[in-house]
Amino acid sequence: MTTRYRFLILAALAVSGAAAAVDRDTAQLELTQAVTAVQTAERDDAARYAPADLDEAHSMLGSAQSAADARSWDDTALFAERAKVSGDLASARSRQHRAESATEEIERSVDSLRQQIGGAP
Amino acid sequence: MRTSNTLTALAVGATLFLGACATVPPGPPPDVVRLQNDLDRLHGDPRIANNAGPELANADAAVDVLARNARTLDSRGYAQGVYIADKLVGIAEATALARYAEQRGTELGVEREHLLAQSEARTTTIVTTTDAPPPVVRSDITPPPTVVRETVRDESGQLVPRQRAELEVMQQQMPGVESRLDARGLVVRLGDFMFEPGRAELTPTAEQSLDGVARVLVSDGDAGITVEAFGADGLASARADAVRDYLDARGVDGSRIASRRVDLREGLARNDRRVDIVIRGD
Repeated sequence: MTTRYRFLILAALAVSGAAAAVDRDTAQLELTQAVTAVQTAERDDAARYAPADLDEAHSMLGSAQSAADARSWDDTALFAERAKVSGDLASARSRQHRAESATEEIERSVDSLRQQIGGAP
Repeated sequence: MRTSNTLTALAVGATLFLGACATVPPGPPPDVVRLQNDLDRLHGDPRIANNAGPELANADAAVDVLARNARTLDSRGYAQGVYIADKLVGIAEATALARYAEQRGTELGVEREHLLAQSEARTTTIVTTTDAPPPVVRSDITPPPTVVRETVRDESGQLVPRQRAELEVMQQQMPGVESRLDARGLVVRLGDFMFEPGRAELTPTAEQSLDGVARVLVSDGDAGITVEAFGADGLASARADAVRDYLDARGVDGSRIASRRVDLREGLARNDRRVDIVIRGD
C-alpha cells in the first residue's frame, strides 16, 4: 500500500516536517503506475460499467501528463496519484457491476426453475 | 440588582465557555467526519465486513492518517488526502460488494445445477439439433470409448479403467473448476452465469476457469475435446464459438476441438443455457 498510495507517507512526513519536493524519477514512476491503472480499468470494461469514474481517471491522467510536460514534478505526482486511485475505483465498480448483473441473471433463472418445478405435476 | 446578577452569571458562563474552547481541541473537519461515517457504514454492513480484504484496511489507514494529520497538513495536502481517502473508501465498498455478488452467484449456480438436474430427470427427450448452423461440426468426432483395455488402482486402491484414472488426474489438475466425471468423460461445466447475460462474452470467472482447463489440455495433447453448448438459438452456438476460440488462443489446437449445440427442447431443461467441455481420454 505504501508504494501505491504515497499520500499516506507524505502526510506523516509533512507532520514531522520532513516532506520534500517530488523528484523527477518519483513523479515518472507515479505517472507510469497511473497509466497502468487506467489501462487496467479500460480492460475491465469500465467505459461501460463505470464511465464517470473512468472519465475522472482520464482527466486526472491528462493533468498529470501536462504537468510532466511542464516539468512540474509535484503536480505530476499529485495528479498521477489521483488518476491511479480513480482508475482503481473504476475497475472495482466495473467488477461489482458485472458480478451483480451475472448474479441477478442466475437468480432469475433459479427463481424460474423453482416455480416451474414447484408447479410441475 | 437582579440585572446585575444576570450579567454576572452571563460573564461567568462566557468565561467558562471560552476557557473550554481554549482547552478542548477542535473536532475533525467535516470531510473527515464524513469519511469516518462512511467507514462506519461499511464496517456495519455484513456484506462488506464479511468480504473485506486489504481494500478496507487501506481505506481505514488513509482516513486514520487524514484524521490525525488534518490540522497540520497544508490545504493542498489536505485536499489530496480527502480525495485519496474518498476513493479508497469507494474501492473498499465496490470490491467487497463484488466479492459478495460473486460468492452468491457461485452458490446460486450450484442450486441451479441441482434444479436443472431435477428438471433433466423429468425430461426424457434430448435432441441434438442439426438444423441450425453449428459453429464447427466435425464428422470425425469419435464417440466416447466404451472398451476398457486396462485397469489401474486409484488413490483408494480401487480398480478403475486407465482412461478414467487419467481423467481423474486431469480433474485434480483443475482446482477451482466445476467438473465431474460421467459416461461422456471429464465434463467441465460453464453455467449460464459464466457468460455475460444474454451474450456470448465470457466473464472473468469463466476465463479464469478456462485458463486452468487450457493448461491441462495443452499438457495432454491426446485428449479429445468437444464443446457442447445448450440452447435452442444462435446464442448457444456463439457461446460454443467463444469457448473454443478462447481455448485456441490459450494454446489448445483448435483442430482438436469439436463443438455442437444441444437443444433440450422439452420440459424444464429448456432453460438450460450451460456449456459443457467434454474431455475424453483418447
